[in-house]
Amino acid sequence: MVNPVLLIAIPLGLAFAIPLFALFWKGAAKYIPPVALVFNLVVSLSLLAKVLENPVIISIGGWQPPFCINLVAGTVGVLFSAIIALVGLLVSVYALDYIKEGATEKYHMLYLLLLTGATGVVLTGDIFNLFVFFEILCISSYALVAYLRDKAGIESAVKYLIQGAVGSSLLLIGIGLLYGLFGALNMADIAQNIKSVSPISVFVPMVLIVTGLGVEAAIFPLNAWLPDAHSSAPSSISAILSGIAIEVGLYAVARVIFTIFGTSSILLFLALLGILTLLIGEMCAFSQNNIKRMLAYSSVGQIGLILFALAIATSYGVTGGLFQLVSHTLSKALLFLAAGYMIYRAGSMEISALEGMGKKMPLTCLAFTIGAFSLVGLPPFMGFPSKFLIVRAALATKETLFVVLISLALLGTVIEGAYFFRVVQVLYFQPVRYEKSSKGIKGEKPNPGSKDAPITALIPMFIFVVLIIVVGIYPKLVTDVLNSAASELLSRTEYIKAVLDSIL
Amino acid sequence: MRRTVAILLLIIVAVGISLSLAKIPFGTPKTKVGRHYIDEGIKETGAVNIVTSVVVNYRGFDTLGEVTVLFIAAMGLGAVLRAHAEGETRKTQPASLVLYTGCRLLFPLILVFGTYIFIHGHLTPGGGFQGGAIIASGFLLIYLGCRERRINQAASNLVESLGGLVFVIIGLLGLVSGSYFLSNFLPKGTANMLLSAGVIPIIYIAIGFKVGSELAGIIDNLIEES
Amino acid sequence: MSFLGNYIYYIGAFGLILIGLYIILVKHNLIKVIIGLGILDTGVNLFLISVGYITKGTAPIFSSPGIDSEYMVDPVPQALVLTAIVISVAVLALALSLAIRLYQHYGTLNLRKIREQRW
Repeated sequence: MVNPVLLIAIPLGLAFAIPLFALFWKGAAKYIPPVALVFNLVVSLSLLAKVLENPVIISIGGWQPPFCINLVAGTVGVLFSAIIALVGLLVSVYALDYIKEGATEKYHMLYLLLLTGATGVVLTGDIFNLFVFFEILCISSYALVAYLRDKAGIESAVKYLIQGAVGSSLLLIGIGLLYGLFGALNMADIAQNIKSVSPISVFVPMVLIVTGLGVEAAIFPLNAWLPDAHSSAPSSISAILSGIAIEVGLYAVARVIFTIFGTSSILLFLALLGILTLLIGEMCAFSQNNIKRMLAYSSVGQIGLILFALAIATSYGVTGGLFQLVSHTLSKALLFLAAGYMIYRAGSMEISALEGMGKKMPLTCLAFTIGAFSLVGLPPFMGFPSKFLIVRAALATKETLFVVLISLALLGTVIEGAYFFRVVQVLYFQPVRYEKSSKGIKGEKPNPGSKDAPITALIPMFIFVVLIIVVGIYPKLVTDVLNSAASELLSRTEYIKAVLDSIL
Repeated sequence: MRRTVAILLLIIVAVGISLSLAKIPFGTPKTKVGRHYIDEGIKETGAVNIVTSVVVNYRGFDTLGEVTVLFIAAMGLGAVLRAHAEGETRKTQPASLVLYTGCRLLFPLILVFGTYIFIHGHLTPGGGFQGGAIIASGFLLIYLGCRERRINQAASNLVESLGGLVFVIIGLLGLVSGSYFLSNFLPKGTANMLLSAGVIPIIYIAIGFKVGSELAGIIDNLIEES
Repeated sequence: MSFLGNYIYYIGAFGLILIGLYIILVKHNLIKVIIGLGILDTGVNLFLISVGYITKGTAPIFSSPGIDSEYMVDPVPQALVLTAIVISVAVLALALSLAIRLYQHYGTLNLRKIREQRW
């Protein structure tokens, strides 16, 4: 069995070593992230079978659990790291040809470190370690949003940075309060002692920590940074931010609430907030003309739906939430990758500039359409079983409030369908726009010579499409893993027992 | 309007935190983890400075993450502020002879002081980050005092990468030889000697060089851009 | 007064946090907001250290072999603050570099005027 620490240590070491490789071979920097991510993917998949029954607890440094930092490689952690590695690998292959200007060596280093931070967040079992890896994730995303150095990018990055930094400070205050109350930083240790203090003094750290993590997880009203940041970043980074960063933030919120604080009254509030986020995101996306901004608001909406599903807190609900999370990651990454080359070809981010692209870039637009249908939740694609599971979970709770909320969620799905179909109509059913030489936007100049996206971009998109269709037709392939992941997330006592009783 | 909303928000935050702080009395020992580290620290790690043994050995993973964060900030700064190749350096007034000579005299003393602090991290208060910051302040003195000298960007990048790589490699060596990542696999020696505490001095030396060159690189990028 | 003497560190850290939050929420100049971020981080670090203080405590360093370890302060918050200070330095450095670029693009640092990305 491979030690799960290598999932974090090897990409970290390779990221530090990129300048050394670049000394000997100039173009080496862009091939190192795919190598590291292939390693991560292989290790995660080989660990997945082993952790389905019991989580693997690794201590760093060899001390016993409350006195050391430990990694908890359970089903949900290894599943997430496999997804991070898969999506990261495909987007890094896409970026081989997409990132050509700027300090490309630094782009690849920051990219690999972002994914390492995300993997660290999902694998750790210690709350201050969660904070440190969360900061790695956030700070590399601030730097990557500003990578193109244009007006929109820098402005979005500044606003994202200030909101994110305030969130991190609130998170740190919450961690400090928890340490003062319980004397330990290990999640299992705090969870064991949580009942020994009065609920009011635990309420404040919980609110602070959820707010701090919620800035990155883009829960309303903390998501003012998201539309700007996701639309001004280069498209490969938008795919990673929408597909991995906000999901990992949401995982951190779920882990803290379910494992440390136990299911509590905040869950109802989060369910309401989730539906509110969903409706606001979908309605804002409907009124957009800029395609990347529309996709960014759609991410906001989907995060609201996943938050609602997780807040139902039954086994069905959490399974549905995790399934929707995986489906959103794959579909949204595909949408951003396809949109990247469509914008490159058209020279502008307006939806009206994409008229008739269906004939000029047939494969790319087909990929975009499949991603859009999967996100909306149409039958042969992956979005359908995931949304169906969430609806069934909400109805199974038999409370009128949840039934009302799920019908609002279906209303949001209808709005989502409306704006995605509008884009598909523009792509396929409008006459081809006569190709004038437009001004183009910085970094995305029109390229009338090429026919379709290059092969390094088509292969990742094709693999996404295949995954979406295959899992959509046979959801049984992943539901066992997701069920096990959901039960691991929900069961506090088994988590505490596994960590504190482990013989090292 | 905005002011009143802000003040209301702050009052809510203030009330919330003080309600929680009332349960954490100031100045009483609260933790079992801290007690364990103080009691068993020298026996288990060999370092006399318990804070160092916590930072590098018990919670070494956090230090690895912190080193990475600083690396990311330096990279991000370099990517955003890539110095123009157009040669638009600002005209600065040349420094007077007293300033120039004084800075050149002070610079090696500051470097030695910083190196002393990070080498003795396990014996006295201090360590890699503190020593690295002092070294960077020496470079800042050179930038402000002798105004045309610049450090070699390529060399500074190389030292940064090597420092981080050494830390990760020590962790992996710990995995190979002791079957735990970042375990202390070198002999612990006698307490209070310079060569003691296993891998802790080596890690701190790597961190000291890394942080020093990183902060100097950040200063170089900021000065050259504006 | 002795009551205040015990809690002065908490009140001080608390005050810095509130001042930092107020500056970030209300001020328009980007440099002032970044300074507010710095004050907020300083307040949080001060709060973290004061959680670990023990009255009549000394530094947890066994500088000579027979030292009494009964009244040593908690070393863990000091380690946490080491990490937190470095992280806040990294964020502030990145923020300042973005402010330099923003000034080059817009010619102003007034956040009310830097609103190109509307709705």
